[in-house]
Amino acid sequence: MTIFLYIFILVDVFAVGVLASEAVRHMYAHLTHQPENGKHGGPTTPIPPAVKQKMLEESEEEFKRILNHSAKQLQGDLEATGGEINKQVSRIASEIVAGEIERYKQDFAKLHEETSHELGGVSEELAARQAELKAKLAEDMAAEKDLLIKQIDTKLADAVTAFLLETLQHDVDLGSQTSYLLSTLEEHKAEFTKGVTDEA
Amino acid sequence: MKLKLDESVSSSQDVRALGLEIRDYARWYGQNGIKARVGVRKRKQVESPPISPAAQDLIRAVASKGTLKRKDLDELIDELSYIEAKSPRITITLAAIAPGSLKKSLVNWCREHIAPNVLVDFRFNSTLLGGMVVQYGSHVYDWSFRRQILAGSAKFPEVLRRV
Repeated sequence: MTIFLYIFILVDVFAVGVLASEAVRHMYAHLTHQPENGKHGGPTTPIPPAVKQKMLEESEEEFKRILNHSAKQLQGDLEATGGEINKQVSRIASEIVAGEIERYKQDFAKLHEETSHELGGVSEELAARQAELKAKLAEDMAAEKDLLIKQIDTKLADAVTAFLLETLQHDVDLGSQTSYLLSTLEEHKAEFTKGVTDEA
Repeated sequence: MKLKLDESVSSSQDVRALGLEIRDYARWYGQNGIKARVGVRKRKQVESPPISPAAQDLIRAVASKGTLKRKDLDELIDELSYIEAKSPRITITLAAIAPGSLKKSLVNWCREHIAPNVLVDFRFNSTLLGGMVVQYGSHVYDWSFRRQILAGSAKFPEVLRRV
C-alpha cells in the first residue's frame, strides 16, 4: 500500500513538473516574440497588432486558466494525497498501536501467568505452613490442656487426701478394726512370714 | 524348759517386768525358806511380794511335782532373760492405743503363725487413721489407711468426675 502511495506521489510530481516546464517555455516565447520551433515551419506572415494583441490576451487568458486549473488539480491532488497519507498514517499508527497493545497484552498475560504461578506456589506454601501451624497449635493446646488437667487433678487429690487425713484421724475406733486387722495379717501372712524367715 | 508366755505378756518390757517380778519373788522365796529352816516365827516373816497373774501362772507351771524349788525359779529367770534377748520382735503401730482384747488377738495370731514366743511391741500414731504398720527387723509392712489413701489419691479426680 505504501508503494502505491509513493508511485502516485511521483506521478503527480512528474505531471506538475511537465506542466510547469511547458508554462515556462510558453511564457518565454511570448516575452521574446519568438515562434515556437517545429510548430510553424517556413516563413511567417505578419500578424496585425490588433489580432496579435487579441491573441496575446487570449493566450494569456488561456495560460491563466490552465495554470488555475493545474493549480486546482494540484491542490486537489495534494488534498487527496494528504488525506490518503493521513489515512495511511492513521492506519499504520493504528496497526502499530494495535500491535503494541497486542504485545503488551501478551506480555501482560505472560507476566500475569508467571505471577499467578508464583503466587500459586506461595499460596500453596502459605496454606501448608498455615496447616502446619494449626496442627502444632492444636497439639500445644492439647498438651497444655492435659498438663492443666493433671495439675488440677493433683491438687484435687492432694486436697481430698489432706481432708481425709485431717478429718479421720480424730475419730479412730480400733475396737471395730480387730477383725480387719486380723484379716489383713491373714491376707499378707505368706509375705509376712517370708520376711520374718528371711530376717531370721 | 519350754515356756509358753501368756497373751498379756507381749513385749520385751513385759518380759523384763515379769522377770523382775519373779526375781523379787525368788529372792523372797529363798529368804523365807531360810527363815523357815532356822525357826523364825511366822509373824516375823515378811509377806511375799505382789506378783501378777501371769507370773503366778509361770511359777505354778515350773513347780516340779507340786513343790517349788529355788532352782526352778532361777531356771525360769534364765529362760525369761533368754526370751527377752533372743526371741524375735515385732513392732505393730496402730492408729490409737490398742485395747487389751486387740492386743491379745494380735499377739495370739503372731505366736501362732510366726513364732511361739515372739515379742510384740505396740505403738500408736493417730495419723495412720486405721490399719497398722508392722515392722520386723528391716522389713516394714505399711497396711495403714493413710498409706491406702495416699496410694489411691490419684483415683480421687476420676471418682469425683463420675459423681
